[in-house]
Formats: sequence, structure tokens, C-alpha cells
Amino acid sequence: MSTLDTLTDAELVRRCRAGDPEAWNTLVERFSRYVYAICVKGFRLKEEDAEDVFQDVFTRVYTHLDKLRDDAAVRPWIAQLTRRLCLDAIARGSREQPAPEQDFEESSDDFAEIEEAFAVREAVTTLGDACQEILDRFFARDQSYRTISAELEIPAGTIASRIARCLRKLREKLEAA
Amino acid sequence: MAFAAGLVAMVARCSKDWEEAGGIAAQALALQARAAPLAHADAEAWEDALSALRRAGTGGGDDGGPRRDHALEQKLERAAIVPLEIAALGADTAALAAVAGERCDGAYRADAAAAAALAAGGARAAAHLVEVNLGVQEGDERLAEARRSERAADEAAERLLAAIR
Repeated sequence: MSTLDTLTDAELVRRCRAGDPEAWNTLVERFSRYVYAICVKGFRLKEEDAEDVFQDVFTRVYTHLDKLRDDAAVRPWIAQLTRRLCLDAIARGSREQPAPEQDFEESSDDFAEIEEAFAVREAVTTLGDACQEILDRFFARDQSYRTISAELEIPAGTIASRIARCLRKLREKLEAA
Repeated sequence: MAFAAGLVAMVARCSKDWEEAGGIAAQALALQARAAPLAHADAEAWEDALSALRRAGTGGGDDGGPRRDHALEQKLERAAIVPLEIAALGADTAALAAVAGERCDGAYRADAAAAAALAAGGARAAAHLVEVNLGVQEGDERLAEARRSERAADEAAERLLAAIR
């Protein structure tokens, strides 16, 4: 993990403005899955269209970062930019082949899910390493209690309770946010 | 298995005074979500293996000899790997049910025990399928792994049932 990974969004934006190339890499890495999720899950763009929007979003972030008034609001700013560019991509596509209206109606729930997923992900990064590790193994990698027990060398019988405690901490962080 | 995990989630959600209940329910729902696709994959893999066995029995198939045997072996192995995962899921579900049974609201302890017994039954059935589908002898690592899951699930269920009898 780079030291830049621990910076807040606002601190990271300040470093980018100062011309730190490593900060740019970190910014792209931090928001790449978010942008991609909006394109693919929210707007259901095809892979090649999603890639075009992805490139366009970060090019604009790079060129227009000075216009961002509140450094801490970089995430909603990127989200708004991504949505606008996704709509442009759909409009371009619909001139060739009209898209069914229903897709747009269905996607509003997906946006809420994406926002929630990323809020959870961000909150997870504020937990200690032990919690991050065990939650990632159980919920993201679908590992069994026995595998987690063997690889982390902790008693199998305590894993469910450890996960439950970590989830409680996570809920407290999310409620406090 | 999905039903057993759902029962654990219900027990946790109904135990209002238990601080860890939310975290236990979340794990139960995650296990439940893993169960459904596994059941589907199991049916598909077994159907595939069965067709291959029938073709082998009638001397059919596109290629003959060792290549055909290898393809059949691969299909049988896949038919055994899915129940192996189901057995592991049974062990996890029974373990979670045991934790729930020990700490939940007393009114729901019997439901937790039922969930553990169901999960243990599922793990046992899955371990048996691993043995049958692979046609292997004792000592095979995959079978040993399935048996470990079966034992772990059994122990968790027995512990809980003994505690409430």
C-alpha cells in the first residue's frame, strides 16, 4: 500500500493540483472501479463504450481539476461527470440504434446500490487491517471459515464472531459518516 | 443448505438483545447467496457427467481411447468438486448456526439447532456425492476434505443439540 492511499480525497486532490504524478495514479486507481461501475452497472454500457467513457472521464478530471470548488467533493463531481458522459455515449448510440426506455428506469436503483457499495468500501478502509482482511476473505473471496482459520492462523470457532464484531464496527463508522 | 442459512438469519434478526446479531445475520445471508448457484451448478455438472458416462457405456463419443477416458474423468471430477464446495458450505452454516444457538434469544434456540442439523445433513449428503461421483477410495484428498467438512458440521450440530436437550 502506498502512503498516498491513506490520504483523504481532499488531500489527494491537492497533491494532484501540485503536479504530483504519483498522486494522479492514486486518484485514478481510487476512482477507476467507481467510474467503471457507473458505466457498466448503472448505464449498462457495452465494454468498449465503457472504456471510452472511462478514458474521457479521467482526461476531463485531469484538465478540469482546477474548476473543482470543494476538494472534498471530488467523488460526487466524478460521478456527475461520468453520468453525463454515459448519457452522451447512449445518445450517440441511439442515433444508430434506439435504446429501450426501460433500461433508464431500471438503472436508478443501481445507482443507489453503487453509491452504497462504495460508501461501504470506503468505510471498510477505515477499519483496522485485521478486520479488513477477514471481511475481504469472507465476503469478497467467499472463503470458508476453515480456510480463513488455516490461512490467518486463528481458531475456526472464533471466526464468525470476529466477523460479526468487525461488521458492528463498520456499521458504527457508516452511521457516524 | 439455503434454507438452513435462512433460518440462522431469522434467528439472529429475532434476537434483539444480541449485539452481534446483525453481523451473524449478514454472514448467514452471504452463505445463503452462495448456496443457490451451487445447487444449480451441481445439477448441471452431474447431468453432464451422466451423459458422458452413457456415451462411454455405449461406445459413443467424438474421440476414442485415452482422450475419451480423460474427458470423462474431467467431467466426473467436476461433478465431485461442486458437492465438495457444498460440503464446506454445510460446515460453515452449521458452525454459524451453533454460534447463533449459543447466543441468541432462548425462544429461537431450537430453530438454530434445526438449522445446524439441516446443514449437517446437507454436508453429509454432499460428502457422499463426492465419494460416489469420483468413485475414489479412502485416502483421496478431495474425499478427505469432504469428510472433514462433514465431521465439522456434525460436531457443530451435535454440540448445539446436546446443549438444548
